[in-house]
Amino acid sequence: MTKKIRYNGRFRQTFIYLGKLLRMFIYQNDWKVLPMAAIIAGLVTFAVGNNIFKTQEGTLSGCFSLVCVCIWNGFFNSIQSVCRERPIIKREHRSGMYISSYIVAHMLYQMMLCMAQTVILIVICNIAGMDFPDKSLITGSFMADFGISLFLITYAADMLSLALSCLVKNTTTAMTVMPFMLIFQLVFSGGLIYLEGPAEKLTSLTIARWGLEDLCTLADYNSQPMVTLWNTVFKFRAMEIDGYKPIEILTDSILQEGKLDQVLQESGLYNTNPAYNYLPGTIWKCWAILLVVIVVSSAASIMLLQFIDRDKR
Amino acid sequence: MQYLMHEYSLLYQAAAWFLTALGIWKILEKCHQKGFWGLIPGFRYYKLAQAAGRESEGVMALVFEIPMYFLLAVSLFIPADDPCQRFISLAVIACGLIMIIYKIRVTAGLARTFGATVLWSILWAAIPYFPALLWGYSRRYQPVNLGKVAENELLAGTAPAVLPAALDHNASDDGLVIHIRQRTAWDFLRRRYLLKDINLTIPNGSLVLLLGGSGSGKTTLVNAINGYEKADATILLNGVDVYENYEQMKYRIGYVPQQDLLRQNDTVNSTLQDAAKLRLPAGTNSSEIHNRVTEVMDSLGMTSGRSGLVAKKSGGQKKRISIGMELISDPELFILDEPDSGLDGVIARELFEKLKEIADTGKIVITITHIPDRVADLFDYVIVLARDSGRVGRLAFFGTPDQARNFFGQPTMERVVMCVNRKDEGGEGRADEFIEKYARMTMESEAGND
Repeated sequence: MTKKIRYNGRFRQTFIYLGKLLRMFIYQNDWKVLPMAAIIAGLVTFAVGNNIFKTQEGTLSGCFSLVCVCIWNGFFNSIQSVCRERPIIKREHRSGMYISSYIVAHMLYQMMLCMAQTVILIVICNIAGMDFPDKSLITGSFMADFGISLFLITYAADMLSLALSCLVKNTTTAMTVMPFMLIFQLVFSGGLIYLEGPAEKLTSLTIARWGLEDLCTLADYNSQPMVTLWNTVFKFRAMEIDGYKPIEILTDSILQEGKLDQVLQESGLYNTNPAYNYLPGTIWKCWAILLVVIVVSSAASIMLLQFIDRDKR
Repeated sequence: MQYLMHEYSLLYQAAAWFLTALGIWKILEKCHQKGFWGLIPGFRYYKLAQAAGRESEGVMALVFEIPMYFLLAVSLFIPADDPCQRFISLAVIACGLIMIIYKIRVTAGLARTFGATVLWSILWAAIPYFPALLWGYSRRYQPVNLGKVAENELLAGTAPAVLPAALDHNASDDGLVIHIRQRTAWDFLRRRYLLKDINLTIPNGSLVLLLGGSGSGKTTLVNAINGYEKADATILLNGVDVYENYEQMKYRIGYVPQQDLLRQNDTVNSTLQDAAKLRLPAGTNSSEIHNRVTEVMDSLGMTSGRSGLVAKKSGGQKKRISIGMELISDPELFILDEPDSGLDGVIARELFEKLKEIADTGKIVITITHIPDRVADLFDYVIVLARDSGRVGRLAFFGTPDQARNFFGQPTMERVVMCVNRKDEGGEGRADEFIEKYARMTMESEAGND
């Protein structure tokens, strides 16, 4: 029996790999994800305009866009991070590296990246003049609630993409599969495309759905005015029936009596979504689900990478 | 009318399926396989793929065909207006398309086996019963490349040891004792022998050359020796069982892969420092790590450029870094897979001289190389692996380089490899002869010792 020598365990190895990843951040141009996040955030806030947090339509499309930015950032952060160095991982694994340490190091590193991207996104939103609400459901500060939500969405997407990176054998496959994952997230978010039946059930599987629910609840979507109805009706002002313009009469009367805001607000009440009820429980539920995605994806990453020894030579 | 058309279509499909099955039955018989597989959906293309030497494609065709039939069967029990039918249809279409691609690959391989053009695979995809019946029943179509593929595959999967096993060496407390009874791998539904009956003892302080043609099992052997891919074997390193104590022994065995598997955008120093942190015992302090890294770099002649990125280093320097990563833990057994690949003669010679210096410190260094003659004088021992007629890797020789040249009657090591390589690889195809000769010689030697 050989004398037992103790080697660095999982905890120490995690920090060896975290150090390596932080060096890669500088040397391997991983830092580029940060300016990329800023550019995407800038483009989206420019496109979303200032209607977010003001009207139901603006809030829904704005929140959806922010969720898209987060998912995009998360996916791109880690999609290639494991598969691009798979043969190296295999070599190091046979030399004593623990897969769990390697993945946990990635999780910590990606957490830092996601935090930085969340801060960048919030700063860009501020610069773009977004008018944030001042009420909070959880922490007492809207910006803190909003930041945690954006971070969790980004990090959940990041961990899902890390699991994919552990599953596939090379970067080509990863980059081929990623658009499908992205499209699935966007189509089945349940936000912009109306879904029903089995398709509606699929929305529960997407980060986008819970992210959107989270942000719309924080924005208090249900108490906001709805403008689509008024805008649509207003388009038909000139409609004439038997020499009579009923819609023009209606709209003029609303405008003359100064009841437009009341009409818009009342319209909003008919367009509420129970999923976005302004309650702390809704937020806690969304955060919990996003955390489950993070935990399950991380566990899947570790399990999938355990099969690395079976890779063909 | 529509009903008649529907019935006709069903009848046609059933007839086409049956005719294809009959044709494949005969094709499989021509390829020395059991014909009844032709009647079993999924497996018939798998068996054709085996005959065509395209087994992996056959497996994929099978993997997609079986779920497709399963889904079709499930859809029969679900109402036509159920939304699930849409998902099932999508899955069936996806499986069907992928299956067709793999079937085309299988039939393209089959065309080669029958000495026909790969364009036949188009016919196989469109009207499979026609080529199946033609190739199955016409005497004009015979498998011309079968001897190289199917017969040997069959032997490799089923044959027991066809040659007497070399006798075991006495277990020794010094050096590396290798006693591999067999190393097998499951290849889908078959067990395949990769290595058989490899018994030898390497003394400490030896630089060993591992020779053999491609596919002779060199990498499989080194993976079995270092315990990474365990075989039915006993491997003792200085009296310690490598398999039983793998978690400890893996730090005492260094393995340098053929490719330079290094993070190109990390510095040389950090690469070696991290390797040291992973492979040196816990509690080694940073100054000890620094000293060990310096020591290894000095011993490999890498005194300058420590802070440079790995990507900026030359091929030879990268190879040294790769070796240094393993050398850092001062392993007792050091295995290198083609360390000279991509290096010119002078650099390669220098590298092997370094390896000889490492061996001279009392370690065992085993290297695989395809250009052995430029450094043949440095080796203490040569292991020659060869693939027998059943495609199983066996020991064809173990001894000193001079003994090897005498044993094979060849002037150079490269000629030794040529003479055990298969004819279709450009060799002389004398592997079985030398495997048997060496086994007999070992037995006689053991009998003499007794």
